[in-house]
Amino acid sequence: MSGLALQDVTKQFGDFKAVDNVNLSVPHGKFVCLLGPSGCGKTTLLRMIAGLEEPTEGAIVLDDEDITPVPTHKRNLGMVFQSLALFPHLSVGDNISYALRIRGASREEQKRRAEELLKLVHLPGFADRPVAKLSGGQRQRVAIARALALSPKLFLLDEPMSALDAKLRESMQVELRQLQQRLGITTFVVTHDQREAMTMADLVVVMGEGRIRQAASPIEIYRKPADAFVADFIGSTNLLDISADSSGCSSVLGQVIPDLALPAGTAKASISIRPEDVHLGKPGPDAIPGTVTFVRDLGGTIETFVEAGGTTIIAVATPRERVDVAPGDPVGITLPPEACVVVKA
Amino acid sequence: MKQILNGQVSRRAVLGAGLASAGMLAMPSILRAQDKSLKIGVYGGYFKKSFDENIFPEFTKATGIAVESIAEPTGEAWLVQLEQAAKAGQAPADVSMMSQTSTLKGHGTELWTPIDMAKIKNAGDLLPQFVNKYPDGRVAGVGAVAWYITLVTNTKVYPTPPDSWAVMWDPANADKLGLLALASNSFLLEVTAKTFMGGTKALDAEDGILKAMEKLAELKPNVRLWYRDEAQFEQALKSGEIPMGQYYHDVTGLAAADGHPVRSTFPKEGGIQDSGNWVLTRASKKVDEAHVFIDYMSQPAIQGLMSRKVGTAPTLKKEVLDLTPDEFAAVSSEIEPILPRYDLYTTKSDWINQKWTELIVAA
Amino acid sequence: MRREAPKSIADYTPLFFPGLMLVVFFVVPFSTMIAVSFFKRDPAAFYTPDFVFENYARFLSTFFGGVLGFSLGLAVLVAVCCVAIAFPFTYLLTRSPRAVQTIWLVCLLSVLSLSEVIIGFAWSTLFSRTAGITNLFVWLGLMQEPIALLPGFGAVLTGMVYQALPYTILVLYPALVRLDPTLLEAARTLGASPIRAFFNVVTPALRNTIVATLIMVFVFALGSYLLPQILGRPQHWTLSVLITDQAIYQSNTPFAAAMAVFLVLISLGLVGLTLLIGRREAAA
Repeated sequence: MSGLALQDVTKQFGDFKAVDNVNLSVPHGKFVCLLGPSGCGKTTLLRMIAGLEEPTEGAIVLDDEDITPVPTHKRNLGMVFQSLALFPHLSVGDNISYALRIRGASREEQKRRAEELLKLVHLPGFADRPVAKLSGGQRQRVAIARALALSPKLFLLDEPMSALDAKLRESMQVELRQLQQRLGITTFVVTHDQREAMTMADLVVVMGEGRIRQAASPIEIYRKPADAFVADFIGSTNLLDISADSSGCSSVLGQVIPDLALPAGTAKASISIRPEDVHLGKPGPDAIPGTVTFVRDLGGTIETFVEAGGTTIIAVATPRERVDVAPGDPVGITLPPEACVVVKA
Repeated sequence: MKQILNGQVSRRAVLGAGLASAGMLAMPSILRAQDKSLKIGVYGGYFKKSFDENIFPEFTKATGIAVESIAEPTGEAWLVQLEQAAKAGQAPADVSMMSQTSTLKGHGTELWTPIDMAKIKNAGDLLPQFVNKYPDGRVAGVGAVAWYITLVTNTKVYPTPPDSWAVMWDPANADKLGLLALASNSFLLEVTAKTFMGGTKALDAEDGILKAMEKLAELKPNVRLWYRDEAQFEQALKSGEIPMGQYYHDVTGLAAADGHPVRSTFPKEGGIQDSGNWVLTRASKKVDEAHVFIDYMSQPAIQGLMSRKVGTAPTLKKEVLDLTPDEFAAVSSEIEPILPRYDLYTTKSDWINQKWTELIVAA
Repeated sequence: MRREAPKSIADYTPLFFPGLMLVVFFVVPFSTMIAVSFFKRDPAAFYTPDFVFENYARFLSTFFGGVLGFSLGLAVLVAVCCVAIAFPFTYLLTRSPRAVQTIWLVCLLSVLSLSEVIIGFAWSTLFSRTAGITNLFVWLGLMQEPIALLPGFGAVLTGMVYQALPYTILVLYPALVRLDPTLLEAARTLGASPIRAFFNVVTPALRNTIVATLIMVFVFALGSYLLPQILGRPQHWTLSVLITDQAIYQSNTPFAAAMAVFLVLISLGLVGLTLLIGRREAAA
């Protein structure tokens, strides 16, 4: 297969399994986001792809070649570090052409390529500046340009945006995605920011406790989270227990939801329903009764916190769908069956 | 300067001095003697310890003069301190042990109160080199302690003892010698003059000194170590690492007695005899007590005691001493010694030092 | 926050203590030394206050020039050897586990507690024919018979490098600990082997630290006067040895002071030159 495949990759640090039996295959040209909370093993996985860590078990295969034993400097990849790791003693141009210098390219060749890459990252004419004089966003672009100098097969980025402020981060995300699409380069980004992942990725890989919890397109991850962990980590969600009666009919908080079946072999499961799918109305016989506890009006959206059957359910509405309620008001909640996703607890 | 004897046991010496003074206070006979007292400067370390233990208590017992011993710093710092104190009429010590060179340097400023030899009973028995005289004949200092620097060898490497300083020049002894590093403490110019030039008189003129240095230059390939610190050479001599050289006669004897394979030989040209004087600073009012002290120290019995207890060579003629032949041989010899030309190290010191350093340091 | 210029004497009080220390520990001793270096030497006594240049004139000879040249060359060589050994060593040390680092640092600190005398005697034993390491080589069959490895230039250099090495490592350690480890990783992802990356990324990134360390070891080595005596031949005696001889054994304080002033000025000059070259390179 053309592309990158991770086969049963495990990394153990002493007693701690940082990465636990990961299998993943990514065709060329895809933008992959490794997403998860800190300590989930996503950075370790990226470093193993880069060759900076050695897997305890398993293989990393690139274009049908097992590259596990290949040292980093022979893997032909570009990497952007969280610290960016720009060489402080070199100018912008020399940073970018460092890889070419190592390969013994001529001075003219190095200059030409550096200027080309600087244009690509919208910093033409910056070659002679010292890196210490750059702004955060400019440093970011230089680090990206440097990593792309040799037109690598793999482009790896470890939390590349974490040092940027929120606004700059959003525009860099768009820019990075556009750059990746233009170059068609297989890209892995480690992030803990689900918005970032949603913005850029073709494939989002959600990791937790060293394992892949779900690998799918952003919208599928959002719409059909594989388990409670994923549902909870991606966006905000309401997780509600399913109770099944003897007849096999499943209900949530007393509301029977048709066609809802527990996954085979499980006695206990939940549904995940996104706050924007929760319907809020007047109390009625078909609705779950609840009491409003808090209303947060953010202008663009209104979040309503409802106490029902011992849990808090959040409903989000646009101003157009607004239901005027205040804390203490009784309300009725309906859960559209098509929006309910069964997840393992 | 006999540094190996100066550098050690300072802590024990301090403790010892403290105990000694406590002991004196406890004794009524000595309490009474306190109206008569003398401050005596002695080289710190080994000498001060030995004197405090063996000599000063006996002196106080015999004369009723209490002694306050003061540790002198090494080098010429003590001379400078005495000089400056004397200008202010102060005497940090009344009587001091003073190297020959420093005694000569004190002549210039008349720092030393002349000593009346009529008050010294054994004046006639003193060896001539132990009476230091002003140019006009007055006595500036009387011999206090003396010691020999001899030709020492490791007995394992040299089964038969050498008989002349000339063996040091033997090409067979390449890289085997340990010698003192400075002209003014090795006295190798005198050794060269005595061995090859008929005597130290040859050093009177500068070209004589230069000739001696030329001869010394031939020695250089044989020298493995030019030492300033005695401990450095003593260890190497004992182990045979540096099996020949110049070293202190008494210390070598003690090492041999401890079973180390070393020996000290008086070559036929004589051992080098270095010494220190008792001098009295002109700022001191205790002229009488000082004479009593110097007289006491110059008695045959006390010189014998010093040889046995401190390891110094006697300042008196051998005939008047009560030393057994073995005791005498342990600290001295009847072979006429090589006497250092101390005058050279006051009048021509910088010139000699410069030439010497150039001679040795040149590759 | 805006900084107010000090207006009254009271505003300067925080400077009094450091100022006093500077005066007590540097200005006074160094001025005294400069003053004494112009005093007149009296061979029969000590010295007399005067203003003469003869102490400096005596120093300006090919002989002392040679000794000065040797001393400076030796100090430079010691500095270069120390940094060449300590830099990679310290780098690897900072990358090793915490416990290993602690053990090494404790060992290095204990070496620091050894005086120059002990180091000198230890090495003179190690290099001796009768008890030295060559006996081990003979036992291992590497040599025919034990030989003395001293006195000689190699022995002096070894002793001085050994003495200065712990200082070098302890000075380099903080800078190398703070060094971003991803710099080296970044170089590796760009195709540089670890050794190559160490030399063209880690080393230049710490250039200022390395220059500062070189200067420190150079100055430190310049003051060494026991090791050249114990481990070397007379031609390996440094200017510090001759200064000691003049000050302690010849009581020629004015000449010793003149030599010391000369040594200080020459080393300050060299340090200044190094910094100047460094700055020009940085600007280029």
